[in-house]
Amino acid sequence: MLRFDRRLLLNIDWVLIVAVLSVALIGLVNLYSSTHLYTNAGLPLYLKELTYYLFGAAIILLVISVDYRVLLSLNYPLYIAMILLLLIALLFGKNISGAQRWINLGFFRLQPSEPAKLILVITLASYYYRKDTGKGFGLLDLAVPALLTVLPFLLIAKQPDLGTGLLLIFIFASMTMFIKLRRSTLATLLCGGISFIPIAWKFFLKPYQRQRVETFLNPENDPLGTGYHIIQSKIAVGSGLIFGKGYTQGTQGQLDFLPERHTDFAFSVWAEEWGFLGSVVLVVCYFFMILWGLNIAISARDKFGVLLAFGVVSLIFWQAFINLAMVMGLLPVVGVPMPLISFGGSSLLTNLASLGLLMNIRMRRYMGTS
Amino acid sequence: MPPRPLAKINKIDPVELKMLKKRIDIAMAIIIFCASLLLTRLWYLQIYRGDEYAKLAERNRIRIQTIAAPRGNILDRNGQPIITNRPHFNVVWNREDSPNPDEVIKDLARILNEDISVLLDRIRAASENPRYMLTRLKEDIDWETMAAIENKKLSLPGVSIEVVPSRDYLYGDFAAHLIGYLGEISPAELEESRYATYSGGDQVGKQGVEKIFEEYLKGEKGRNYLEVDVHGFQQRQMQRQEPYPGNNLHLTLDIELQRAAEEAMADKAGAVVAMEVNTGKLLVMASTPPLPLQEFSGGRILSSAWDRLLNDPLNPLLNKTIQGQYPPGSTFKIVTALAAISEGVITPETTFFCSGGLHFGNRRYGCWKKGGHGTVNFQRALTESCDVYFYSVGQRLGVDNIAKYANSLGLGKKTGIELEHEKGGLIPSKAWKQQRLKQKWQDGETLSVAIGQGYVSTTPLQLCRLTAAVANGGTLYRPRMVHSITAPDGKTLKTFDSVSEGKILGSENSLALIRTALVGVVNSAAGTAKVVALPEVLIGGKTGTAQVVHLSQVSGMSEKDIPYKYRDHAWFTSFAPAEKPEIAVTVLVEHGRHGGSAAGPVARAVFKKYFELKGVIKPAPEATTPVAAPDEKDE
Repeated sequence: MLRFDRRLLLNIDWVLIVAVLSVALIGLVNLYSSTHLYTNAGLPLYLKELTYYLFGAAIILLVISVDYRVLLSLNYPLYIAMILLLLIALLFGKNISGAQRWINLGFFRLQPSEPAKLILVITLASYYYRKDTGKGFGLLDLAVPALLTVLPFLLIAKQPDLGTGLLLIFIFASMTMFIKLRRSTLATLLCGGISFIPIAWKFFLKPYQRQRVETFLNPENDPLGTGYHIIQSKIAVGSGLIFGKGYTQGTQGQLDFLPERHTDFAFSVWAEEWGFLGSVVLVVCYFFMILWGLNIAISARDKFGVLLAFGVVSLIFWQAFINLAMVMGLLPVVGVPMPLISFGGSSLLTNLASLGLLMNIRMRRYMGTS
Repeated sequence: MPPRPLAKINKIDPVELKMLKKRIDIAMAIIIFCASLLLTRLWYLQIYRGDEYAKLAERNRIRIQTIAAPRGNILDRNGQPIITNRPHFNVVWNREDSPNPDEVIKDLARILNEDISVLLDRIRAASENPRYMLTRLKEDIDWETMAAIENKKLSLPGVSIEVVPSRDYLYGDFAAHLIGYLGEISPAELEESRYATYSGGDQVGKQGVEKIFEEYLKGEKGRNYLEVDVHGFQQRQMQRQEPYPGNNLHLTLDIELQRAAEEAMADKAGAVVAMEVNTGKLLVMASTPPLPLQEFSGGRILSSAWDRLLNDPLNPLLNKTIQGQYPPGSTFKIVTALAAISEGVITPETTFFCSGGLHFGNRRYGCWKKGGHGTVNFQRALTESCDVYFYSVGQRLGVDNIAKYANSLGLGKKTGIELEHEKGGLIPSKAWKQQRLKQKWQDGETLSVAIGQGYVSTTPLQLCRLTAAVANGGTLYRPRMVHSITAPDGKTLKTFDSVSEGKILGSENSLALIRTALVGVVNSAAGTAKVVALPEVLIGGKTGTAQVVHLSQVSGMSEKDIPYKYRDHAWFTSFAPAEKPEIAVTVLVEHGRHGGSAAGPVARAVFKKYFELKGVIKPAPEATTPVAAPDEKDE
């Protein structure tokens, strides 16, 4: 049985809670605007998202009530569960518009690639924490974590969901760069990574994925085809001007010119309706939350906490950055949602659990060290 | 119970902590850099290029429907409308409003009495159009059908009636060649700069004044601004700009005279032109058979109908008043006579003996009167149209002298009327023949030219203008058919004054002699156009017969046996009242044989109407046209 320590309550991270709540509020307000015209069966999407938030709050409570170090013994069972879920999704999952990403649980459609991101963070943090000898990691030491990353990457890329798959690689790269590497290893990794890109382009990308990248480089070539998303999103963002068109008054979003406006392109709706000022507010809130996460990482009581917090931050940062850069036309359309802003249960619950983990680490920064 | 230690917790050693801090700082720097990148991008999109994107967003959501403007009316010289607009009712279909299209279309097909496949084809053809656009299912339905649709409106969701202004031809084919017709703008026309403001499907003038004055007649299109979503569904009406009607075109024509001329020509192919002799303004411009305007209604003509018109021997597509070039025949003797008197090669008293023909070179040139006219002076020569007299005169003049006077009278070149595709006719000269045919002029050819045969050709309009110049004392006017253009509010935008082209060659005295002789043509016992004479008004005129084929080809055939297309054309050109001429009338009847009997009565009908309208002649109910076949007193 766990005995609840009073000091935990004293160390609750109000800064992070306020930051998360403000971003969540923006996300919900914006979701109402982008979905209130939808005529889907069942609960309106913004209410659905609100119930996910309530679930998420419960998950956060659950996450913070247990010392994060329990993950050191849970990481492999979690990892195996994740691989199984990914396999199930691939073999028996629900196929939605050509992608095999979902497992139907009846009340909830689980997208296992979302929790997979967090589980990879936990797995890598545990691995690096255990294997750290203080002498720096060599190339051979990285073989196991690389394998641990490539397995879910392949399963997710097969769905196909290249965006999420690449995210795993980004997380792996960020966390690996963060631990102490030998210089030669670093150099080899950089060279290897760079030379891998053309090989991947030629052999691993599907034609539609290659086309997306090509379209990104020159969207006006194909304004009604694959370039459409980028062009319409840029129009939505750009036409918001300084003050925006007003809440629920965005023409690009409300009149359906903006595709995927409640999921991948949710930020475009916000930027259109709230303008440059609103966009700056959101980006600043968001990046404050991320930077605060780094602060949590460096103030953690042990190295596992540092690695774990850093992994979570890289998870949230990369999702946000890729999504924002994508809707602003700086990156190809890869289908990475923006945490807390884009609609989606699996993504929201995963990200809230991640943030819960950060709170967990923060609360325990003074505890149990000897 | 103390918690079971999960794993041994080691505090991070200070050296490592320092290193980790350094890495966290690097990560922070990267993250802040990325955030600034995103903020810069936002500034670039929303502020630096924001206006551009705002415009693109507007273009995305706003669709402009154009509303056709009523075209300007076309009126006669007295303000009587000839062509106006009427509302034209189209059945249109709005896909957005119809949940159950199949049923509706079935019902609609029954009401329209149209095959359902026709309607479905139209819907299919429009399926690529944006959804807010209405699809036309049937054009120009009648009142009963419209009432039936309005009654059933509730059971016909998506179906509505569109009101579009379209041309209403109050008098049918009236003056059709002059007025022209409308048609859908062609891809080639859309390329032209003068149609820059048009778009596909617009109606434009294709012929006649409808084309020439398009700019004035078209009006301003209205605009309906709609907000649409990405699927083209209309969201709301934003603003509406009403169309502005086109300007009114006042022609110089007189409806009554034009109608009199067209009625008189009803069973004949040919042309009638009437002109005010002192202004050049046209009162009548008729070419028969008329252009069948109903074939062009809706802006399209079936290719079968077009082929039929193209191959019709009566040539309805040709505006014969300006495009028909015919040998003027004896009407040209006016020119020869003027040249002869003015050049002094004869005096009014000079006589020649007509034995029914003249030997020249190794050929005999016959007079139309085989028995001969005997001794004829100038007056009789014109009145009775003696060919031999003019052969002799032509011999003395030479072809170049004749050409000089013909050109001065406006022959051999276009009159400059605004209508398109005008022909200029031909007046031969020695230089012309040398240049064109690379042959020397034969003196014998001068004889043919002197009586308006051979190479000479003129249009009816040219002859009418020539007659007007003779009648008015020698001033050549440019023919005008438009009097003025007025705005819909009545304000005059433009008036077309008469334009003088200067004096013709020849003295007033010689013109007076000619006029006297021409009055004799209509009024003397031996005149060739006695049938034209009106008791109340003194008319002067000249008949003419234009040979279509050389005489030898039809010699020996009785007139009735000559096939239609080989029969001679009949001319009559005239003016009245002789004392103080006001109006010149020229009539050509294709293959009408004799100027006096075929063309004369048409001119007479125009004169009669003209002087009736002026109150000179009392409009007595005339029993039947007293044009019984007159004695063959023609040439």
